Amino acid sequence: MASGLRVSELDKRYGSLAALSGVSLTVREGEVLGLIGPNGAGKTTLFECVAGVLPADRGTVMVNGRPVPALGRGAHLFYMPDGIAPWPSQTAGWILDFAIGFFGGDPARRTAVVDRLQIAPLLGRRLGHLSKGERKRVLLAVAMLTPQPLLMADEPFDGLDLKQSREAAAALRDHAAGGRTVFLSIHQIGDAMRTCDRFVLLSGGRVCGEGTAGELAALARSRGAAPDGFEEVVLALT
Amino acid sequence: MASRSWWVMLLLIGPLTGMAFISAVRTYGELSGAGGTAAGVGEAFAPLIGVWAPTFSACELAAAFLLPFVAIRLVAGDRQSGALKLELQHPMPAIARMSAKATVLLTAWLIASAAPLLAIALWKIYGGTIYVPELGALFAGHLLNAGLTIALACAAASVTDHPSTAAILTLSVTVGTWILDFAAAVHGGVWERAAAFTPTAMVAEFQHGLVKLDAVLVIFVLVAAGCGIGAIWMRLGVPVRRRIGESLAVVLTSIVAIGAFAQVTASWDVSEARANSFSRPDEALLQRVPRPLRIAVHLAPEDPRRVDLERRALTKLRRIRPDVRVAYISTTTTGLFEQASEHYGEIWYEVPGKRIVSRATTADGMLESLYELAGLVAPAAAEDDVFRGHPLAAEPGGAAAVFYGIWPAAVGAAALWSRRRER
Repeated sequence: MASGLRVSELDKRYGSLAALSGVSLTVREGEVLGLIGPNGAGKTTLFECVAGVLPADRGTVMVNGRPVPALGRGAHLFYMPDGIAPWPSQTAGWILDFAIGFFGGDPARRTAVVDRLQIAPLLGRRLGHLSKGERKRVLLAVAMLTPQPLLMADEPFDGLDLKQSREAAAALRDHAAGGRTVFLSIHQIGDAMRTCDRFVLLSGGRVCGEGTAGELAALARSRGAAPDGFEEVVLALT
Repeated sequence: MASRSWWVMLLLIGPLTGMAFISAVRTYGELSGAGGTAAGVGEAFAPLIGVWAPTFSACELAAAFLLPFVAIRLVAGDRQSGALKLELQHPMPAIARMSAKATVLLTAWLIASAAPLLAIALWKIYGGTIYVPELGALFAGHLLNAGLTIALACAAASVTDHPSTAAILTLSVTVGTWILDFAAAVHGGVWERAAAFTPTAMVAEFQHGLVKLDAVLVIFVLVAAGCGIGAIWMRLGVPVRRRIGESLAVVLTSIVAIGAFAQVTASWDVSEARANSFSRPDEALLQRVPRPLRIAVHLAPEDPRRVDLERRALTKLRRIRPDVRVAYISTTTTGLFEQASEHYGEIWYEVPGKRIVSRATTADGMLESLYELAGLVAPAAAEDDVFRGHPLAAEPGGAAAVFYGIWPAAVGAAALWSRRRER
C-alpha cells in the first residue's frame, strides 16, 4: 500500500435507512487514523463495507490508486470486528497460532506481541471463557500478528479498563511506528486522542470532517463554534 | 472439529448400531435354527438383508437426525461467533473453504462409521460370512447419503442467519423427501421417478446390493450443488441480488445435469445372492426377446401386486433390458374400485406383431410370459446358480457390552482427553 487507501462515495442502505451516504476518506500510509462518531453513526457499517465483509450499494475502495473489489481486499487490509468471539472452544494460544498460519503472519513476532499486550497468562484458556477485556486483548494480538499493510480495528478499547486502554493504545502506536497503517473506530474521545494522528468524524452516515485535531478545531471555528478541547470540536462537528 | 455436537453423535451412534445389530443377529439366528437351507429360501439367510441392512440403518438415522446438527454447528457456528468475518479475509476461494469444511465433516462421519465396522468384526467372530463387495456397496451408499446430508446442511447453514433456522430447513427437506416417497407410492408416474433419487430410495438400493450409476451421479450433482450454494452464501461481502442470481444458476445447471444423468442405465448387482438379477442363463436369453419390448401394467399405484411386480421382476428386467418401456395404466390410486374393470390386473407384454396377456406378478411369471412372447424355451434351472445363503444360529454375545458399555466409555474418555489436550 504505497500511497494509502482511498474510499470514495460509499453508500449503504438497510431498507429505508441510509446507513452511509457518499462517504469519502483517505487513510495515509503509516498513520493511525481514528474514526469517531456517536452511536449509530455508521462506523461499523463503514468498516465492514471497506473490509469487504458487507456489500456496499455504491462507491469504490482504492489501494495505490486502483479500485479493489470486495473479495480482493483481504490482500491489502485486515479487519478486526468488535463484539466477536471466534473459535470460542479453542485456547487463546491456539487462536494466535492459527491466525499466524492462516493469514501468513510472522511467527517470530508472537512472543513480542504477547508480551506487549500482557496476554501470556491467557494463552492456555479458551477464548469463550475469557472476559470481554481479556478477549479484546487476545483479538488485538491476532490483529497485530496479521501481515496486511493496513490494520482496521473496530472499537479496540471497548471493554478495557483505563490502564489496559493506555497500554493497548501505546501498543498500537508502536505497531504503527513499525511500518503498519492503522485505522481505528473509537467511541471514547480520550482513547482516540491518545492513539491517533488524524481523525474522520462520522455522523448520520456522513463524513463531517477529516484531519488532525488542529485542523478539525479550525473547521469547527469556521462554522461559528468556539470549541474548548477536542470533545467540544467533535460535538460541534457531529 | 471436536465440537460437542460431533461427540454427541459419536456417543449415540454406538448404542443405535448396537441395538439394530443385536436385534438383527438374534432374529437371523432364530430363523437359521428353525429354517434350513433349501434352495429358494437362501435370500432370507443372506447377511446383507438379514443383518447389515438393519444394522447400517442406524447410520441412516444418524445421517438424518444427528449429522445435520454437526454440519450446521461447523458452518453456522463460524458465522455466529464472528469467525467467518475473519476467515473471509483470507484469499482462499469460498468453494475451497466450503469443500474443506465438507471434507472435515465427511472425515467425522467416517470416524463415526467405526460403530458398524465393529459390528462387522463381531459378526466375523461369531463365525458369520462376509461378502466384501456387498458390504462395500452398503458402506458407500451410507457415505453418499452422509455426503448429501452434509451438503444440504452446509447450504442451509450458509443461506440462513441462524443455526436453528438452518436446522429447520434441513429437516424440512428430509421430511419433504418422505412426502415425495409417499406421493410416489400413492400416485406413481413422475413422482415415482423423482422418488427414486431420494436418500431413502437410494440407500434402500445399496442395502440390496444394487449400485445404480444414475443415482450415484445424481447424488454427486446434489452434493456439488449444496456445497456450491453454501459457498455462494458464505461470501458475506457480495450483494444479495448477485448471490441469488448465482444460486439460481447453480440450481438450473443441477437440474440439467440431473436430467441428463437420470438417463444413465448402467447398474451393478454386487449382492452375493444376486438379489437384483435374474439367473445368468435367463439374462442371456432375455437379450433374444425382440425389440422394442413394451409392457403395459393395468394396476393401480397402491395395489400390492404392482409393488411386487416392480420390485421382484421389473427392476431386474430393466437392468438387463434398459430399452424396455413400461406403462402403468389405472384410473384410481388404490385400484379397489377398478377390480371389475375389463382389463384391471392384466399385464400386457408386446413385441412387434405379437402381444400376450398375463396376470402373474412374480419374476417367474414374467419370464414365462416373455419367453412365450418371443417363442423361446426357458433355460433349465442350474443348481450352481442358486444362492444357498449363510445361515448362522448365533447369539450376539458381547455385543451389548461393546455397544452399550465400551463404546460410550471410549467416546467419553476420548472427549475428555481431547478437551484436556486442547487446554
